[in-house]
Amino acid sequence: MATIPEPEPKTIAQPVERLAYSVQEAADMLGVHYFSVYRLIQRGKLKTCRALRGKLLVPRTELMKLLGTE
Amino acid sequence: MNYYERPTPLQEQAYAEARQHFAKHLKQFKASCETLHNIECNLSVTANDIFGVTPKSSGRVIQTDDGRHWQLDIDLTKLTSVCHRQTPAGLEFAVVECLPLKSTEIRDVLNSGHDVREVLQTFTRDQRQVLQVWKNDVIAQVREHLAEKYPHQDMNLVVESFDIKLAREFSRRETLAQNHSHGVRI
Repeated sequence: MATIPEPEPKTIAQPVERLAYSVQEAADMLGVHYFSVYRLIQRGKLKTCRALRGKLLVPRTELMKLLGTE
Repeated sequence: MNYYERPTPLQEQAYAEARQHFAKHLKQFKASCETLHNIECNLSVTANDIFGVTPKSSGRVIQTDDGRHWQLDIDLTKLTSVCHRQTPAGLEFAVVECLPLKSTEIRDVLNSGHDVREVLQTFTRDQRQVLQVWKNDVIAQVREHLAEKYPHQDMNLVVESFDIKLAREFSRRETLAQNHSHGVRI
């Protein structure tokens, strides 16, 4: 009689830390409205990079710096 | 691009779908443009009001992150206020932003000077630049959304229609879109 092999223990994927976030995501992380994030970008308090089609991205390191958790 | 080009049914559909998808952005962009427009229209009145309240002083003091202390005069928006302080050169005015983040609060002097009208003008000019950054980012998001949803389709006409719509809110020139809407109803 064939025995059913025990399933291999599943490895739980660790959440990968993102390198950069959209303005909306950055706003959620900072706890502010996204207009405030655009204001921080405009006055150079948050440095950004751009995705392929020009969308603004805020590097994680910039957010951490602003939140004082780096 | 032909200015009189008619949108295809797919472009019409994409425009309607994207407009729904970005409805919150469009609504908030319009509201922010109107808020700024109101500040610009009332600039002289606000400047006079500040001169009116300055001698009395509200008694509310803000210490900005650079260590300076300011007497709060008038709130411009939920997060920005016009303040003043005494200096050896006379009264100095500033627009101060108090931005509560999750773990801290930023208290920044956005701009300052001895002429309150100039301070307000600089503030509104800077806010226009912020709106421009916002507008460009929304357009980029629309472009990205359309490229993902309608791969290998030409959606430039739809993106341009969004651009015109936001530009119209930005400049408040109501007649602009009629002649340049490329046939897509905005």
